[in-house]
Amino acid sequence: MRLPGSGNVDHGLRRRILVYGVAVGLGLFVLLGRIWYLQIQRGEEFSAKSSGNFIKEIRVPADRGMILDRRGVRLVDNRPSWDVYVTPAFCGDCEEVLGRLAAYLALDAEERMRLDEQVRKARGLQRFQPILVRLDLDRDQLDVIEANRDSLPGVDVVSTPHRDYLYGTLAAHMIGYLGEANAEELERFRKAGLSVMLGDYVGKTGVERRFEAQLRGRDGIQRVVTDARGQRIPGLEGLIPRSERFVPSVPGHNVVLSIDARLQEAVEEIFDVPAGAVVVMEVNTGYVLAIASRPTFDPNRMTGRISREELRAISEDPLRPMLFRPVQSHYPPGSIYKVIASLAAFEHGFAGEVHCGGGYTLGRRRWRCHKESGHGWVSPEEALQVSCDTWYYAAADRIGIDALADMARRFGLGAPTGLDLGWEVPGIVPSVDYYEKNVRGGYMRGYALNTVIGQGDNNVTPLQMAVVYAAIANGGTIYRPQVVRRIERPEGYVVQEFLPEVRGRIDVPKASLDRVRKGLEMVVETPGGTAYAHRILGRRTAGKTGTAQVVRIGSVRQKVEEMEFFTRDHAWFAAYGPAEEPEVAVVVLNEHGGSGSRAAAPYAMRILERYYQILEEDRAGPPSPEKIALPPRRAPRPAPVEEGAASG
Amino acid sequence: MNLGPPIPARSLWRRAPWGLILVALLLTAVGILNLASASRTADASLWTSQLVWVGGAYVVVLLLLAVDYERLYQLAWPFWILVVALLVAVELRGEVAMGAQRWLVLGPIRLQPSELAKLAVILVLARLYEDDGEKPEGYGLVELWRPALVVGIPAGLTLVQPDLGTAALIGAVAGTMVLVARVRTGTLAILGAGGIVAGVLSWFFVLREYQKKRVLAFLDPEADILGSGYHANQSMIAVGSGRWAGKGWGQGTQTQLSFLPEQHTDFVFSVFAEEWGFRGGALLLAAYAALCFMGLKIAAQARDRHGAFLAVGAVALIFWHTLVNIGMVTGLLPVVGVTLPFMSYGRSSGLTTVLAIGILANVGARRRTS
Repeated sequence: MRLPGSGNVDHGLRRRILVYGVAVGLGLFVLLGRIWYLQIQRGEEFSAKSSGNFIKEIRVPADRGMILDRRGVRLVDNRPSWDVYVTPAFCGDCEEVLGRLAAYLALDAEERMRLDEQVRKARGLQRFQPILVRLDLDRDQLDVIEANRDSLPGVDVVSTPHRDYLYGTLAAHMIGYLGEANAEELERFRKAGLSVMLGDYVGKTGVERRFEAQLRGRDGIQRVVTDARGQRIPGLEGLIPRSERFVPSVPGHNVVLSIDARLQEAVEEIFDVPAGAVVVMEVNTGYVLAIASRPTFDPNRMTGRISREELRAISEDPLRPMLFRPVQSHYPPGSIYKVIASLAAFEHGFAGEVHCGGGYTLGRRRWRCHKESGHGWVSPEEALQVSCDTWYYAAADRIGIDALADMARRFGLGAPTGLDLGWEVPGIVPSVDYYEKNVRGGYMRGYALNTVIGQGDNNVTPLQMAVVYAAIANGGTIYRPQVVRRIERPEGYVVQEFLPEVRGRIDVPKASLDRVRKGLEMVVETPGGTAYAHRILGRRTAGKTGTAQVVRIGSVRQKVEEMEFFTRDHAWFAAYGPAEEPEVAVVVLNEHGGSGSRAAAPYAMRILERYYQILEEDRAGPPSPEKIALPPRRAPRPAPVEEGAASG
Repeated sequence: MNLGPPIPARSLWRRAPWGLILVALLLTAVGILNLASASRTADASLWTSQLVWVGGAYVVVLLLLAVDYERLYQLAWPFWILVVALLVAVELRGEVAMGAQRWLVLGPIRLQPSELAKLAVILVLARLYEDDGEKPEGYGLVELWRPALVVGIPAGLTLVQPDLGTAALIGAVAGTMVLVARVRTGTLAILGAGGIVAGVLSWFFVLREYQKKRVLAFLDPEADILGSGYHANQSMIAVGSGRWAGKGWGQGTQTQLSFLPEQHTDFVFSVFAEEWGFRGGALLLAAYAALCFMGLKIAAQARDRHGAFLAVGAVALIFWHTLVNIGMVTGLLPVVGVTLPFMSYGRSSGLTTVLAIGILANVGARRRTS
C-alpha cells in the first residue's frame, strides 16, 4: 500500500512541465496569428463576403416603353402582373409547399408535375434560382396566397409590369409580341449592352423586336438584408450604405408609329376575310398609315399567356396566322402588275393600239384574254381600264421579259422594301437569266407573256405593290416604307426621328406616267372600268384590279374540305387617291378571294372612304385632348422674349 | 512521506489559487454573455440555463475544496471502470443524435459519457505516475502498455460512436501526460511513425464517410461551399469580417442572420470574434493562456506527483479543447465537433471544464509552500 504524497515533484518533472508550458504558449500564439491573418490581413475581403451573404439584390425592372400611334394614342403599355415563384432552397418541404400552392391556384396535374420535376432537378446553386409557378394571378388568388404566407416558405409573389396590348389584335403582326429571351437573344442583347437576364421577356416580332433596345430601358436594383434562408429581415437596412440601397430603373423610350389608330381600326373591321393583307401608305413620305394581315392573333395571349394547345393550333393552322403577309409572303400580282408592263412598253416604243380578238397566238399556243369575245381595238389607257391581256401579250412579245424585269426592279421589286421588321421576302422578278438558272428547259418566249399579266413565277409582296403604286402616284419616287415616326422619352423629348427616306426614282418620262395614271383613273371612274362599280362619289380614285391564278397549290398540307379554297384565285386591288393630287396608296390582297373587282376593290374603296372621313374629322377641328395624347414636345427651350414688351 | 496535518479550512480558503479562479470565472462570464448573443435567434433561455448549471457546478467544486484531492487516488479506477461501462452502454442503447450515439438517458439526465472519459483518463494516469515515481531514463515502448490500455479502451469506444473529435482529445490529453512523464527519444520516433501509419490506415478502415468529407472539405474548403465546406467557410467569414473592432454585441450579421452554423456550440468563438473583433479575440486568447500558465504553475508547485499530473491533465484538457476548437473555426483544422471550454453551450462539456478548474484549485490550495 502506497503512502499518499510519496512521489516528489522533482526537477525533471518541473522542467518538462515548463516545456509543455512553452508548447501551450506557442499553440495559442499560432491561434493569435491566425485570427490576425483572418481579421486584419483579410478582414476587408471577409467583410465583403459577409455583406454578400446578407445583401440580396432585387431587380427593379424598368418599365418598357409604350407604343403610340401617330397622334399619341396608346396602343401598347404595361400593367402590373402578379407572378408566383418558388425557390427550392428556401421552401423546406417543397413537396408540401407545392401541394398547398396547387390547391390555392388550382394547378392542373400537368403543371404540378412540371413543377415537381423542376424542383427535384435543381441542384447546388440552382436551388437558389426561383422557379415560375404561375403568371398573372387574379385578385382572389393573390389574396389567398397573401393570407397563407406563413405556410408557404420559399414562395414569392413578384409584381412585374406586363405588356398590355390595349386593342388586342389591332396591327398585331406589325406591333409584334414578347416572349422569353432564348440563348441567342440573350447573347445578342448583352453584346448590345442591354440588361437582359434569363427569363426576361423581349420582343419576338414586329416593332417590339426591332426596337427592343429603345423600348427596354435599364433595370434598377434594390438591396435588402436577408437571413441565411433568404428571408428578408426588415429594419436592418442600416447595414447597407444609403447610396447603395436603391438604384432606380430608367424607363424605356416610347415608339411613336406612323399608324393612324382610327384608320387601322377601320381596316381591321372592314377587311373581314379568311386570309390576306392590307397596306395603306402615304405616297409622298412612305409612312404606313395602316397595315393588316389576316388571319391574325392576340399579342396579349402570345406574350407568355398562351397554352400549349393554343400554340399547337396556331402552328398547325394551314392559314398560318403568325405570317405577316404584307412582307413575309409573296404572291403573283396578276393584273396590278400591268402598270409596270405599260411603262416598260412605252419605254421601248410600244405605245399604240392593239386589236384584241380574245387572245394572242405565239407559236402553236394561244394565250387567251380574260374576255373571250375580245376587246376590239384597245389603246394603252384602255388596256389598263379593261385589263386587256391581249394588249400586254403583244407588248411583252415585242419588248421581251428583261425589259419587264428592268422596270420591275426600278420599282423595287425583287428586293425587300426595307420595312425592317424582320423576315421580309424579296419576291421574284422573272427574267431570261432567272429561267435559265431556275427552270428546267431554260427560258422560253412564252414566259414573257405569263410574266406580263402577273402570273407564273412573277411574285410580289403586298407592301412592294404599295410602294409601286405610291411611286406612280407621286411622280416616280420610291420611298422606303416606314411604320415608326419617332422615338421619344417618356416625358416627350424626341430621341430619334425617322424622316421620309428616298430609295430611288423610277426615272420615266412624265408623259408615260400620265398615260398610266389616266388608265388607272379610268379603271375606277369611267364606265366599263373593272372597278367602276365601287367608285366613291365625290372623290376621284385611280386603281387597278388583279386576279391572280394560283398556279401552284403551295406547300401547305390541306384537308379535303379546304381544297376548293386553296385553289381559288387571289383577288388584288391596288389604288391611290385622290386621283388628281394623290395622298395615299392602298393595296388589298384577298388571298383566294376570287376576282379582284369583286373581292378586293370594295374593301380598298371602303378603306379609302374612311381615310377621307378621318381627313375631314381632323380638318373640322382639333381632336379632343382626352382622346389623344399631347403633341410631342421638343427639348425644353428658353421662352422667347416678347419684343416690344418693354416699350409697351 | 506523509501529508502531515490537514490544512485548516480557513487557511485552505486563503491559499486557494484565486487568480486562476478569477480568470476562469471571467471566461465563464464572457462565455455566458456571448451565448446570450448567439442564442438570440434560437432559444432565448439557453444562456440562462447554462448560467444556472455552470454556476451551480462552481459552487459545488469550491465547496469540495475542503476535500483533499487525495480522494481521487482511490476513486480513479472505480471511476474509470464506471465510465467504460457507460461507454459500452451507450454503444448498446444510447440515444442517436446527429448521426452518432453519444448520449445516455438516465431518467432526467442526458449523459455524454465520452466527456467523463477525459476525466477518468486523467485520474487514472495521475495515479499511475504517482505510483511509478520519476523515471530518469524515461519510458520505453513496451512500458507504455498501461497508459495505452487506460487511454485506448475509452478512446476506442468513443471513436466507434463515432466521435472523432472527442476520441482525438482523449488521446491528446493522455499523450500530454505521458510526454510530461517522460518518454525515451527512440520510442518517441517510433510512436511518431506509428501515428502516421495509423492515420493512413484509419482513413481507409475507421473513418466514416461524413468524417472523410469534413477532412476533405478542410483541405479544400472552396470545393463545395454549400456542402461540407459550408460550415468552415461561413465561420471564417464570421471571424474575418469582425476585423479589428468587431461588429458589436448582438450585431454580428453572420450570427444574427443565421449564416453561422452551430453558433452556440462548436462555432461559438466565431460569434465572439465577429462581434468583438481582433481586440476581443486577442484578449480572450490571452485569458486562456493565463489560465493555462497558472495551471501549469500549480502543477510545478504541487505537493506530490499525483497533484502535478492531475493539474497537467486539467490544463491539457482546457488547452487542447481551445486549440482544436479555435483552430477548427478559423479553418486551421478540420471540423470535428470539439467544444470551446467556458464558451460553448452544453451541460456535459460545461461540467467537465468546471471540474478541471476544481481539480486545479484543489491541487493549488494544497501546493508546496516552500
